Amino acid sequence: MAATFFGEVVKAPCRAGTEDEEEEEEGRRETPEDREVRQQLARKREVRLLRRQTKTSLEVSLLEKYPCSKFIIAIGNNAVAFLSSFVMNSGVWEEVGCAKLWNEWCRTADTTHLSSTEAFCGFYHLKSNPSVFLCQCSCYVAEDQQYQWLEKVFGSCPRKNMQITILTCRHVTDYKTLESTGSLPSPFLKALKTQNFKDPACCPLLEQPNIVHDLPAAVLSYCQVWKIPAILYLCYTDVMKLDLITVEAFKPILSTRSLKGLVKNIPQSTEILKKLMTTNEIQSNIYT
Amino acid sequence: MDVCTFEKVGIRGTNIVVLGVEKKSVAKLQDERTVRKICALDDHVCMAFAGLTADARVVINRARVECQSHKLTVEDPVTVEYITRFIATLKQKYTQSNGRRPFGISALIVGFDDDGIPRLYQTDPSGTYHAWKANAIGRSAKTVREFLEKNYTEDAIASDNEAIKLAIKALLEVVQSGGKNIELAIIRRNQPLKMFSAKEVELYVTEIEKEKEEAEKKKSKKSV
Repeated sequence: MAATFFGEVVKAPCRAGTEDEEEEEEGRRETPEDREVRQQLARKREVRLLRRQTKTSLEVSLLEKYPCSKFIIAIGNNAVAFLSSFVMNSGVWEEVGCAKLWNEWCRTADTTHLSSTEAFCGFYHLKSNPSVFLCQCSCYVAEDQQYQWLEKVFGSCPRKNMQITILTCRHVTDYKTLESTGSLPSPFLKALKTQNFKDPACCPLLEQPNIVHDLPAAVLSYCQVWKIPAILYLCYTDVMKLDLITVEAFKPILSTRSLKGLVKNIPQSTEILKKLMTTNEIQSNIYT
Repeated sequence: MDVCTFEKVGIRGTNIVVLGVEKKSVAKLQDERTVRKICALDDHVCMAFAGLTADARVVINRARVECQSHKLTVEDPVTVEYITRFIATLKQKYTQSNGRRPFGISALIVGFDDDGIPRLYQTDPSGTYHAWKANAIGRSAKTVREFLEKNYTEDAIASDNEAIKLAIKALLEVVQSGGKNIELAIIRRNQPLKMFSAKEVELYVTEIEKEKEEAEKKKSKKSV
């Protein structure tokens, strides 16, 4: 309220904006249509964990159903290629299930029938030692889906007597350092571990102010909160597509306790990796 | 520009300059002859580049025109340093112009000057250029350069054959599947550019493998 020059009292507009809040609230109230759209979107973006044979959803989380002592997770195509060539070819692995999810990064709009050539997320266990688990995740798990993924895989009350190893890649331009990026020996490996992980890492630890992003960060945070020993091996590379030199940068991990006993024939694995590269090589004429 | 590129190596010998490149695998239906890796700028100068093919095409065309323009104006062929400086200046202009991006290529330029001295220069996208005795560009340039630092000796480049073998050995350090993925070009003093055929490269590769085997036999004899 304000008084004018002539003595009348008028309602003055309030610059603090408090008077407009009532109108805004009305607009914010959800209509049934909004609710419907929101529910549809939530259904579309749901993360489903399916059994291999029956393709039906698992009732409980993966690690509640199957006991696990060692869990190796590869996120990104280079990490997936590394595990495929070096670990999966050294033993008999059985697929136990896969995660189906859709987000804007997926190339298909069809949420129900994702073909086998699309990015995937598969879970395997070693036949000779079924408590050793492996996850190959080459699809992008969006921020809102990461919590669902963790719930469906680890459950709400995970066991503490397992060890998690995560492998992933990041572009070297994300690496913050005083050195010039041209002088960095990319690709190079950095590690980040939870408080309960006591073994030494096979490479230097990730320095501040660098941070980890996306699903690897979600898994590591989850393990830190639940006091599960976990280590993340992050490869900074200048080539984000499938690349032999980047995949070979993960080799020092073969000597760690995480992968001990799981890798047998390294020369044969290197050959398999080379074959994988040539079959996946896109014939691009952009670069010479 | 080391991302996604194939290896190129350049060696300055006493009487020869050698350019070796890693052949990239060509799609089945693609005509291999149209995939150019080593380009002649003039009769006595040639270059290999690593990076964006389209950018290289533009730079090479400009350099070729400049070589002929220089010959017509001054009645002398360009020196290797002159044409390298021209290319480097062109690249630098594009790092300082509005609305343009730099040329995404690194180049190795080799040749002989009129005075008969062999030259090897390297340029990069910033527009700097330096003379080298031996250098490599491409994805694994560091590995190849380390090999060259260890093995580039006066003996190694004394004869033409030895210089050629050094270039091939350097490439074999990083090239997968051996000799059939290597292309080679040489310039000898007062002679035009010579491209090696696949057979000729294979001959050198076989020779190198023989020498390796003999060296290993000697080693094992010594240890026994």
